[in-house]
Amino acid sequence: MKALQITKYGEIKDSLAFNEVSRPIVQAKDVLIEVKAAAINPIDKSIILGNFQSMMPIPFPSTSAYDVSGIVVEKGNEVNNFEIGDLVYSRVPQEQMGTIAEYVAVISDAVSKKPGNISFEEAASLPLVGLTALQSLEHVGIKEDDKILIHAGSGGVGSFAIQYAKAKGAYVYTTTSTDNVEWVKELGADRVIDYKIEDYKIIVKDADIVFDTLGGNYTAEAFEVIKKGGKVVSVVGSLDEETAKMFGMADYKLPEELKTLCEDKEASYKFIFMHPNGAHLGEIKSMIEDEKIKPIIDKVYPFSESIEAFAHLATGRAKGKIVIKIS
Amino acid sequence: MEELIKKVNSIIDLSKEGEAYFISIATEKSTPKGSTLIREGQAVDKVFYVTSGCLRSYCIDKNGKEHTLQFAIKNWWISDYIAIHSDEYATLTVECLTDSNVIEFNAKELSGMLTLFPEYEPFQRNLLERHVLSLNKRILNQLQLTASERYDLFLKQYPDTEQYARNYHIATYLGITQESLSRIRVEKAKR
Repeated sequence: MKALQITKYGEIKDSLAFNEVSRPIVQAKDVLIEVKAAAINPIDKSIILGNFQSMMPIPFPSTSAYDVSGIVVEKGNEVNNFEIGDLVYSRVPQEQMGTIAEYVAVISDAVSKKPGNISFEEAASLPLVGLTALQSLEHVGIKEDDKILIHAGSGGVGSFAIQYAKAKGAYVYTTTSTDNVEWVKELGADRVIDYKIEDYKIIVKDADIVFDTLGGNYTAEAFEVIKKGGKVVSVVGSLDEETAKMFGMADYKLPEELKTLCEDKEASYKFIFMHPNGAHLGEIKSMIEDEKIKPIIDKVYPFSESIEAFAHLATGRAKGKIVIKIS
Repeated sequence: MEELIKKVNSIIDLSKEGEAYFISIATEKSTPKGSTLIREGQAVDKVFYVTSGCLRSYCIDKNGKEHTLQFAIKNWWISDYIAIHSDEYATLTVECLTDSNVIEFNAKELSGMLTLFPEYEPFQRNLLERHVLSLNKRILNQLQLTASERYDLFLKQYPDTEQYARNYHIATYLGITQESLSRIRVEKAKR
């Protein structure tokens, strides 16, 4: 079968190639998905560039990407929750990376039936951003009337998180640049802050939750805008001690600055490391079918133009997700 | 089962032997919400009579989106008749939108009733006529009525189904977008 593979760490144009590879073999708990569409995310670019080579080294060549939608064509003998012919979507686990290919084998726990009211392309755009937003906002227990600041509302995770938070009845502040203000408003955000002309730190006061999707100074600044006892949840900032322990870093301590900020505001800080989860994708399926959340797609590329799709991702200018139509 | 026999006997006079055979080929089943009775791409040899609950048949287009062909509530029959009569694999999927009870028949055995018990034929013909009628009406309604009128008809034809079906099930049945369905509902609420 044909697959887009990472041949070495380096620049996108030098490190990706279409190769003929053998079809994956399903293990007892796997389903084999005939890929209809795959989607790419900033993490896919970072992996190619080698930014994660110490944490998550990959063998070469490795097929690229994690997000997928398609049809179950084969299943392992311990799979009871799917049938051949089921239309599914998934964010595949690290060790099964490789969705820009004609087939991918995925552990069935990481798979869900796809929402029935959207296309394969739209379904492929959801898993990684949806799971990241859902797992982050579920962790902080977002609820009706909570005030939440979601950074980068026009990003993949941000645009999903806005819709998720609105579905839960929260009041949503979000930041974005001038060009994106209008369409981000349409996602339902109550107060869209154009960071080019407004200072979010003046506008947002006493937030219950800050969802930090930017990291850097933004993590510390979150404590300026949350209320006493508020919650900061980050997908890019420093690890928290519990998460670090999960990764085997038993001696890790939360950076002193963050620790002080938490103490001063009696606040909590949590780093969320998105994990593949079919049940969570099932929750997202229901929210999509009930139109509480809509997929946002920037552009769909044919399989043969997958490398161009990565080049587009690298510009950082996409308004919504970049999807690759496989078949 | 008794109710179905009564229905049959309200149209024809089925002999005792015919009735016994009819019962012998029927299997009463409880089918949980979310279960699939017929799956696209697989062989089909069953037809279902609904005694309670709500089922839906739908097709999936090449983009992976579902389109509802039919809902089936108490006293309705449902299957993939295209597959059965042309001996092809299913192009439809039939799923239960609620916990349901159905009476399952093997399509060939049910047809066998016609040869074994000729008095059954008018019942079968009546079913077929009603089926053709309903399909023709559905096409004409699609051509002649506004979306709002079609929605009103849906509410009459499938009472209570709205509480089980998702919006996109109904929207695709009516051939409109989910946004249009929401708009129609808001307008109706204002009236």
